[in-house]
Amino acid sequence: MPNIVCCFKWVVDEAYIKPSSSGKIDLEWAEYKLSDYDRNAIEEAVQLQERYGGNVTAVTVASSDATKGIKDALSRGPEKAYFINDDQFENLEPSQTSAILAKVIGNQIDYDLIICGEGSSDMYSQQVGPRLAEKLGIPCIAFVNQLSIEDKRIIAERKTDDGVEVISASLPVLVTVLPDINSPRVPGLKDTLAASKKPVIEIDLEDLGVEYERLLIDEGLRAASLERNCTQFGDGPEDIKAFAEAIRKTGVIDRG
Amino acid sequence: MDFKLSEEQELIRDNMREFARTYVDPVAVEIDENSRYPEEVIKKLADGGWMGMPFPVEYGGSGVDYLTYAIAVEELSRSCAATGFTMSVHTGLACGPIALYGSDEQKKKYLTPMAKGEHLGAFALTEPGAGTDVGSATSTAVLDGDEYVLNGVKTFTSNGPVANTYVTFAWTDKSDKRNGMSAFIVPRETPGLSVGEHFMKMGIRASQTSEVIFKDCRIPKENLLGKVGEGMKIAMACFDHGRIGIAAQAVGIAQAALDESISYSKQRVQFGKPISKNQAIQWMIADMYTDITAGRFLYYYAAYLKDQGLPFSKEASMAKVFCAEMCSKHASKAVQIHGGYGYCKGQKVERLMRDAKITEIYEGTSEAQRMVIAGNVLR
Repeated sequence: MPNIVCCFKWVVDEAYIKPSSSGKIDLEWAEYKLSDYDRNAIEEAVQLQERYGGNVTAVTVASSDATKGIKDALSRGPEKAYFINDDQFENLEPSQTSAILAKVIGNQIDYDLIICGEGSSDMYSQQVGPRLAEKLGIPCIAFVNQLSIEDKRIIAERKTDDGVEVISASLPVLVTVLPDINSPRVPGLKDTLAASKKPVIEIDLEDLGVEYERLLIDEGLRAASLERNCTQFGDGPEDIKAFAEAIRKTGVIDRG
Repeated sequence: MDFKLSEEQELIRDNMREFARTYVDPVAVEIDENSRYPEEVIKKLADGGWMGMPFPVEYGGSGVDYLTYAIAVEELSRSCAATGFTMSVHTGLACGPIALYGSDEQKKKYLTPMAKGEHLGAFALTEPGAGTDVGSATSTAVLDGDEYVLNGVKTFTSNGPVANTYVTFAWTDKSDKRNGMSAFIVPRETPGLSVGEHFMKMGIRASQTSEVIFKDCRIPKENLLGKVGEGMKIAMACFDHGRIGIAAQAVGIAQAALDESISYSKQRVQFGKPISKNQAIQWMIADMYTDITAGRFLYYYAAYLKDQGLPFSKEASMAKVFCAEMCSKHASKAVQIHGGYGYCKGQKVERLMRDAKITEIYEGTSEAQRMVIAGNVLR
């Protein structure tokens, strides 16, 4: 019966990202949500538990106000959560997130299988899963779209540019999953109410005993804007010339 | 003063939104078109614990407060007002009176399967000659040995054709206009109970509505709800909390009208620019957003008072009349923003405008709400 760990990230809901009048991004009223692919990671962990037994633990590294994210994750099935949080945990770099996860998962959690989303839906570096496996010294199978367990071995189907690969590896293993591996369930009312009663283990920077140096610094966030000016062009040589001139004028391409 | 919902309430709202997007949006057009009862959606609502939200866990409910329940009705109605209403009338008007006035025995026998969503409830009060004027009803209940014999015709019974359990009202003493009516619980399979044809309505077409006919319908006297003569009191109490659900439903419809109007006005180009750049459209959108926010806080406030155990009858009426009227007004404005396209099937606003109107009529017309409010204010 496998001990399954699923990792998730609490991210800005892109539906709330709006450009401000100055062209910057206004996040003042932004809501947060579970990173899309991490929903698949949690769902896969819970489905495997339904098939093979064992237990599911959810783990996140977040700033300390992400408490709603913990409840959200727990309402989707895991029986407990590790909430590694500190107010300094903003703009973590993938190497830092994976190091923090490795320290906690490696030292405190009994695991056979770790499931991550293929990437987070905000930064989408796709690095945290593979880096975490590397730090824990276990095999990593990325971009998996089908998963089963047989005799303490995992059998994973992964999508690659050349086709589908079927890989088997002995546990413990880390996998990152694609969104088409499953359709995440919609938590019912009772799941949400039960989530508030599940155990949450809180760990902060001091507990981790590490220094945290901020590596990623916001130099500014700029919003892309789409302005229609409703100019129409035909397909004749003169039109194409006029079109090129128009996009030069607006600064879309440089004259250089 | 705190205007913020709890994390749990926010998550429940978000999950209902996700539920509605996943299971309701894909069928909303079809069930409206065919006036079909979405049995499969109601089953999923039941599985998720949404059909008995504000009732105690020991009677099959989920044990959340009324505010959280009303927020869920809003979110569900944003996708489909008929489905939102099916849940709301079941919860507020059918489960509600049994939870409030039922004996422990009645709660175990009737409320529990209803709150679990295994049984659907209906509220049969209105009669062909008795709408707002409840006192002009003619249905009677005569005690004969250990049984009440019900006779009468109820109409506009929401959930009527598909319900398992009916809460109904009949005169036990016709001479006493004030305390002569009593409430009863009648299971569907009772001989003498029959259900008429489903009415074809302008809006909320997937909500099933019919006559319910009682002809020498004998029920055990244990099925009397509350005490003899408490019928009118029970009916009015049910309307008080049911109205919070209708206000929430109206806000859901209006929010959907706003959602559609924002996205359409940003992409519809006329005179060389998106119509959202025109002040005429901007003002409509600003008014919509303002009224929706005001309406939402009105029903939040009524639900809050109820949850605190404080009087909320006036506030429920205020929320109901304000939300219903702003909903109709803005659903119509949303069609205006969509122009000719909005007048055609295939645009959500066409359905929203038809669905909106009923919120001004059922569970007490806007005029009846004003009677309640004025009665309270001028007292």
